[in-house]
Amino acid sequence: MNRWEKLCLAIYSRLARAYPHEFRLICGADLDRLGEDMVPETWRRFGLQGLVRLLANTVIHLPFEYLAEFRQDAGYACRMLAKSPIFTSVGIMSLAIGIGMCSVILSESNGLLRPPPGIAEPSTLLAIRSRVSYPYFEQYRDRHDIVASAAAVLRPVPFAVAPSGGASQAERIYGQIVSPEYFRTLGVKLAAGRSFDPAAEKFGAAPVVVVSERFWRNHLNSNPDVIGYRLRLNGRMAKIVGIASRDFLGVWPWNPSDLFVPATSDPSIAPELSGDPVHQDEMASFQVILRLRNGVSKAAAEAALDAIKRTLDRQKGLEPNPDRKGLEISLIPAGTFSLVTPEQRAFIYTTNVILWALVLSLVCANLANLLFAHSSRRRREIAIRLSVGASRARLVRQLLAESILLAFAGGLASIALAFGITRIVSSLRLPEAVPVQLKVEPDFRVLLFTLAIGVIAGIGFGLFPALAATRTDPNPALKEGSRGALRRYRRLGLRNLFIVWQVAASLMLLLISGYVVLGYRHTAIDPGFAVAGLDLLSIDPVRGGYSADRAATLLANLPDELENVPGIREVGVTGGVPFTNLTADRPNTVISTSEGNDGREIACPAFRERIGTGYFAALGVPLLRGREFDKREGHDVAPGRAIPAIINQTAARTLFGVTDPIGREIREGHLKFVVIGLARDVRSGFLMPKPVATIFLPLTAAWFGRNQAQRLTLLVRTAPGRDALQAVESELALRHPDLLIFDVQTMQEKLEQLNSFIDWSSSIYVVLGALALLLACIGLAGVTAYAVVQRTKEIGVRTALGATSGQVRRMILSEGAVLVIAGSALGYLGAFTLSRVFSASMETFATTFAMRANQPALLAGAPLLLSTLAILACYLPAARAARIDPVTALREE
Amino acid sequence: MARTDPAAFLPLHKNRFHILLSLVGCEQHGYGIMQDVLQQTDGAVRLWPATLYGSIKRLIEEGLIEESGERPAPELDDARRRYYKLTSLGRKVIEMECLRLEELLRAARKKRRQEAFE
Repeated sequence: MNRWEKLCLAIYSRLARAYPHEFRLICGADLDRLGEDMVPETWRRFGLQGLVRLLANTVIHLPFEYLAEFRQDAGYACRMLAKSPIFTSVGIMSLAIGIGMCSVILSESNGLLRPPPGIAEPSTLLAIRSRVSYPYFEQYRDRHDIVASAAAVLRPVPFAVAPSGGASQAERIYGQIVSPEYFRTLGVKLAAGRSFDPAAEKFGAAPVVVVSERFWRNHLNSNPDVIGYRLRLNGRMAKIVGIASRDFLGVWPWNPSDLFVPATSDPSIAPELSGDPVHQDEMASFQVILRLRNGVSKAAAEAALDAIKRTLDRQKGLEPNPDRKGLEISLIPAGTFSLVTPEQRAFIYTTNVILWALVLSLVCANLANLLFAHSSRRRREIAIRLSVGASRARLVRQLLAESILLAFAGGLASIALAFGITRIVSSLRLPEAVPVQLKVEPDFRVLLFTLAIGVIAGIGFGLFPALAATRTDPNPALKEGSRGALRRYRRLGLRNLFIVWQVAASLMLLLISGYVVLGYRHTAIDPGFAVAGLDLLSIDPVRGGYSADRAATLLANLPDELENVPGIREVGVTGGVPFTNLTADRPNTVISTSEGNDGREIACPAFRERIGTGYFAALGVPLLRGREFDKREGHDVAPGRAIPAIINQTAARTLFGVTDPIGREIREGHLKFVVIGLARDVRSGFLMPKPVATIFLPLTAAWFGRNQAQRLTLLVRTAPGRDALQAVESELALRHPDLLIFDVQTMQEKLEQLNSFIDWSSSIYVVLGALALLLACIGLAGVTAYAVVQRTKEIGVRTALGATSGQVRRMILSEGAVLVIAGSALGYLGAFTLSRVFSASMETFATTFAMRANQPALLAGAPLLLSTLAILACYLPAARAARIDPVTALREE
Repeated sequence: MARTDPAAFLPLHKNRFHILLSLVGCEQHGYGIMQDVLQQTDGAVRLWPATLYGSIKRLIEEGLIEESGERPAPELDDARRRYYKLTSLGRKVIEMECLRLEELLRAARKKRRQEAFE
């Protein structure tokens, strides 16, 4: 043999030995022998080229042989999983629910933080945290050494939109009033036409508008010649100059915008521009987005902008706020779907990561317990296979294949679940007055990450039992029932720690979801007035082109006009829509009086609502004392005189105790009111369980002039069995053809929409709680069963020595109980800590927790339920253990 | 599940066909099979070791061949060599495959004759 042949043979032998164990069992020796025959022959016939070919052939086939084994393993794993359907379905279900829920939780929050479509380089976009007045914005914008570009936005702004010349009813579409630099700053490309230009958009110029691609499709029939076409916005004609790129619905499209109007337009185009906010230093109503010049740090920019603000304040003679320390300008990242402050961002991450980690750790602990229990049942099978020559590596691989397959199946099911849940979430309508684009999509990065964790957990938790199971010496394992040397019961063993953690994590999830569910359920609305027969219509006289005076007259006359419509009993007007958003009836002002019981000054936080005539009559809540507002109150009182006001019971009790409030004086800042009526407590928002002190003020012309009221709502009480909404709408259209009418619905529908939102929000937590219970039970039952199988011999010895079946049962149960109690204690502590953490970071949580945290039903019920189920899960294997026949258990010693 | 219907194995892959054919009427070890195939095909089909044993392993798993218990005289034997023989299923499979190929060949010849006639 020459050296080439020797070298080739050496490599060949190495390669041949690398073939899989089972392949080698069948033809390993033969393969080696064949090499010895082939190498000299190949050299003789083909030379070096032949040797290379021989080696290449050996190398190429190597992975295929492993792949073939893997295919066998997978097939075998499928058959094994199909053989134990309960184990398989429980494993897949817990993984699917766990991973699915986790993905949804994370996807939902990522949805808010994801970059908005259509905007260039969203990561470099910043926003000034507080609102800014337009003249200040211009100063910031012009600091070119700091700011590369900046734009001011006023949003959300509703517009009454009608096609030019069309006689059709106007439609309410949301948009933004923006500075001319808006599109350039965002880097938005236009699909057609031109964007705004500081040179072209002069102050007071004829109104122009850029529309979204969505608006162009849905409202302009995708007409390609639409540039130059005129739209009627709030009664004024505006020329369409551009169509924004596809998918662009404004910066922060959580509140999608379809119309973009320059802030420099003639103020008559939008009531938001009345009072000339573009030239007023005091009207800080704009949000500012900006991009910094390359190399300028955020901190440097904040300092520079703050210096500008202080200088401007000084020039205007404004006193610096003495309470305020540090910088007044703070920049926050703005390239997100919704503008999220850093605090909100931190909250979103901590809450979700905590929930996510809890659920995932439960799933992992569960999977580990399940796999341990499963492999312990297969000890004999593994021993037999080891003894007939299966390699340990192959067996481990086979067991691993099962757990990986399980993890994959669970992962796939979880993806389906995540898609299902997110579809439902996306189809929900949030009870907000301004349209909200709640589009939750499963985030693929999140899904992949969670899937990876599931698979890693499958491998990790599959590997330990597989290694443990194949480490056994086949001899004793083959003897029926024998477990080798008797092992001491380890109280702090890994498995027990798993159980304690499982109980603790389950209890935490159960308690937290319980708090939220009970809190939410409590907010399910019982408004305290007759809902049936009450209809709501929103109108917007301001955007219908009404002057403030004309609007006030309209409102004063509307009830009389509509009361003649057949079927109508009462008509009331209000400035707020009852139950429209999550924060309605939070105190928004402070009222005080010096006419309280003991003559001292008393103040209380209160919710201020503007209402017109007939409000309480239409609601069906007659006043307890005094009278409602009438037409006289539609006009302003002379300066210095007290404005009439109605207060509710809570406000009256706080300010005046038990004495009669009628005729008393209350104050809000420098404004004076005189109480003319006392109303019963009625809820108009949710998440506030207790009635809030409320002051009702009349809707006046001056108020219209000052405020950018976006809507007024008519409450129409109809006679039972009559559907009068249609009649009201046509009556209004007939009498006031230019009045914008929108959001027409019955109170019942409004409440159902709201309650379905509440139901949905709470049902997520119900599922979370149920999942926690289910996972804990599965895990406990599995692990206790496993422990009992492990201790069969010990139990046999105990029974042989005279232990009764009752004693055995008690022993197993008490050991289980210790673990459950330890877990419960840990769970309590955890839930308490978490509820504090959550409450501290979000008000909604704080309210719901505060309401329900001390509920004895929950505090005692949740652990009771959990421990009952846990003890039951322990009892079943314990009962089986008690029935163990000592003769069987000890026979094969 | 092992297949028991010989028709389920048809058509046979070239390598498997040659291996089965070389085992018809005799028992062979791997090197013998290789040499046999080389001769049968006038050197056109050379089965390299990994290919050969990959096929042999699968033929064993499918029950078409098995290891033979009989060994040659001790002076000719090498303990590391294994001898293989056809199982009854393997015999049926190779017979059916030969019939199939004959059918094919007959059809092809007929066609060629027709072409020559025309």
